[in-house]
Amino acid sequence: MNRESLLIATLVELADNLVDDYDVIDVLTVLTHRCVDAVDVDAAGVMLASPTGELQFVASSSESMTILELFQIQTNEGPCVDCFHDGLAITNHALSESDGRWPLFTPRALALGFRAVHSLPMRLRGRTIGALNLFRTHQGTLSEDDVIVAQGLADVATIAILQHRSTLDASALNFQLNNALNSRVIIEQAKGMICQSTSCDMDEAFNRLRAHARNHNEGLTTLATRVVATSMAPNDLDIWVMTIPE
Amino acid sequence: MTLSECCRVLVDKDQAPLDPCRRPKINHQSVRRRRGSRRSEQWRNWLCEYRLRLHEREVNVNVHRLLDIYAIMERLERESAEGFALCAVAAEFTALDGAGIALMSESKALTSLCTSNVAAGALMDLELTLGEGPMVDASRGDAFEDTDLRETTSSEWTLYRSEAVALGARAIFAYPVRLGAIRFGALSLFRTSPGPLNAQQSSDAYLMASVIGRAILAEQADGSLVGLAGELNGESMLDFWVHQAAGMLAVQGSMSVKDALVFLRARAIGVGSQLSVLADRVVTGATRFDSTTREWIDETAVGHYKR
Repeated sequence: MNRESLLIATLVELADNLVDDYDVIDVLTVLTHRCVDAVDVDAAGVMLASPTGELQFVASSSESMTILELFQIQTNEGPCVDCFHDGLAITNHALSESDGRWPLFTPRALALGFRAVHSLPMRLRGRTIGALNLFRTHQGTLSEDDVIVAQGLADVATIAILQHRSTLDASALNFQLNNALNSRVIIEQAKGMICQSTSCDMDEAFNRLRAHARNHNEGLTTLATRVVATSMAPNDLDIWVMTIPE
Repeated sequence: MTLSECCRVLVDKDQAPLDPCRRPKINHQSVRRRRGSRRSEQWRNWLCEYRLRLHEREVNVNVHRLLDIYAIMERLERESAEGFALCAVAAEFTALDGAGIALMSESKALTSLCTSNVAAGALMDLELTLGEGPMVDASRGDAFEDTDLRETTSSEWTLYRSEAVALGARAIFAYPVRLGAIRFGALSLFRTSPGPLNAQQSSDAYLMASVIGRAILAEQADGSLVGLAGELNGESMLDFWVHQAAGMLAVQGSMSVKDALVFLRARAIGVGSQLSVLADRVVTGATRFDSTTREWIDETAVGHYKR
């Protein structure tokens, strides 16, 4: 697919996902996967501001522990934190060992093979609610078009958080943010139970949870809640079959 | 700037600066000893440390509001021999007319933990007696706000609403106290005049609910609110592997995820480890809980290992 058709397909897919009662974490996970497809990057993740004002990871194109850790570090420092504070995009920041800007984040990102990082603010009426984080394994710059597409996807992510609320006051926004953040915690609790019960890794635990939710048309968070409440046995979750990308 | 210099600069003028301003080492014995007047000293200690971290931009700028909660706790702790009540902190912090906190039992029944004043107490009694109301709903579901109890169009809890108005409340705001799927109870706030919360009050209410959740966890894990110091000070509940570890431990020990998290927290205190470090060991299989012997087993030595 060329760039234009890929973008149209992505937007149609996201619009299709943003129907009644969608699961925010599931939609944001789709979005991060599409970032990797549509923008010249290798990993993407969404971080949202918690009530304490710290950033919390909510969705990523990869659920591997090492990638998740890269987001975890950014509770305290990193491109997302800076982007979130200033409300300004960070694009084409080349990572290097001599760069002292993020002493915890940079070495870890380099160790994972990433060479450049980008962070785009998720803004809503003057308030920054989080950031979209993009990683690249090769150096070189994102094109202007890439940046526009990435910011567009960050805006879609913001819309996804709002969940159909057109008149959004501060209370309603806090409500949605908190539910999204809490959903991620429920999913982590469920992942731990699945991992222990079925002897799989955390990555597979998430994929099984997500595959089962999709197969049975159930919200990811609703299903995760049932796993934690032991009304859904981890062993009864559908087996996840990795699909080969087109 | 050194830690002690920072304390001199950052600690409130009316308080004697503490030097050295170290984070207290938490273990069962020291927690038990650190009672009475020494508690406020401890609060001041980590208030100081948090301010240092804030000063050095180690923590997010927005945690200013978290610091404000600590400051209220520290002052209330100093002013009263019995220590502070979380509901009093909640009411003062959100600048509302009263607050109540209810705890949820395993059977989902609510009991009152505390109420900040007579009216809040009466509202709590009303809701627990009727078994309906915003706090009951929030404890099982999502946050609930009714900005004018008198003018509401909702047909829910009509009895509760009219009685609540008679008790002096006009607007009521209830928040679940939860950590993922774990439900601890709910925080209820009320005001004697109608109208929505402003943006600051709204985020403050969510922040307070999250602090209360961590306070309850700390109390259940080591039987005292003193543990809250360690709980809030740098032991982030945002570390995703803490929740993964709780899920794993729940299966290992055939217990609920809530009990598993409390258990994990208590173990961390018991061995003097950070919660996130212990959780990391559980997730990587270095530490596990044996359900037959009911004992913790370290598969690898506990050293300086940190992810």
